[in-house]
Amino acid sequence: MNQSISAAKRTMTLNLTEAEMKALDDLSAQKDISKTAVLRQALRLYQMLDRRLARGEKLFFEHDTTKEKAELMLI
Amino acid sequence: MSERSLVHIKDRRTGMLVEATLIDGVTREDVELAEGQWDPYLQKELARLQSEGVPRNQWPQHAHWNWRDKQKAVEGVLAYRMFGIEHSSEIQGLMLCVTAGKTGRIESQKGKPLVYVHFLAAAPWNLGSMSREPRFSLVGTVLITVAIQLSLDEEFDGRIGLHSLRQADEWYEKACGMTNLGSDPSAHDLKYFEMTPEQASKFLK
Repeated sequence: MNQSISAAKRTMTLNLTEAEMKALDDLSAQKDISKTAVLRQALRLYQMLDRRLARGEKLFFEHDTTKEKAELMLI
Repeated sequence: MSERSLVHIKDRRTGMLVEATLIDGVTREDVELAEGQWDPYLQKELARLQSEGVPRNQWPQHAHWNWRDKQKAVEGVLAYRMFGIEHSSEIQGLMLCVTAGKTGRIESQKGKPLVYVHFLAAAPWNLGSMSREPRFSLVGTVLITVAIQLSLDEEFDGRIGLHSLRQADEWYEKACGMTNLGSDPSAHDLKYFEMTPEQASKFLK
């Protein structure tokens, strides 16, 4: 099996500020994926978070060693 | 949205490859079909194992997984992809992957995104630990191939990661060639395995 299993994609134009574009460039370089792939990742995570927040759940980050928890505030 | 394509699994009785259908986007109906087929077989075989005095640690460890709940929980969530393999109107295996928020742990791959395989199971009649005469092989191999292909499609270079149940540790390490990063206290001490782009490329050959 050597075939793509991703659905067909559609194209859109995106307008970003200089700072947003720099953040996107940086993430693309750090993660070694294209800017499109970064934005697709961002959309998936945002949709997942939005669903859980809508269910009344909260989002926390836990420090790997200290186990200290901090709530991430989303507006 | 559910899409179907052709894959091959091996009929153990004849040793021949047979055509099967890869389901990308397993639906509620697919899961109900699997549940209706897997559960009666599981219950019958678990009763047999019990009556034969087979120790519980040799029973299939994923027998309690509820695929209907899993499918319901991730339906419509873009980050999750659920796959199945169907042959002879029977679901031969299921896999749930997540394509966002997981990154490599191997030093050379740290911070780079990967496809994380949350759950992977072959139908109980295909398990050597459950069936005296397992019916089809290559189900797990096809599903891991799908996870790697998904990783390539997502520009993750074939990187995948997963936590393994003890009974599958050897398969992921030896047959799949994944790197064993040891027990993970944050995941019930299950062993964490990861596949690098190089290992993925070797697996696909």
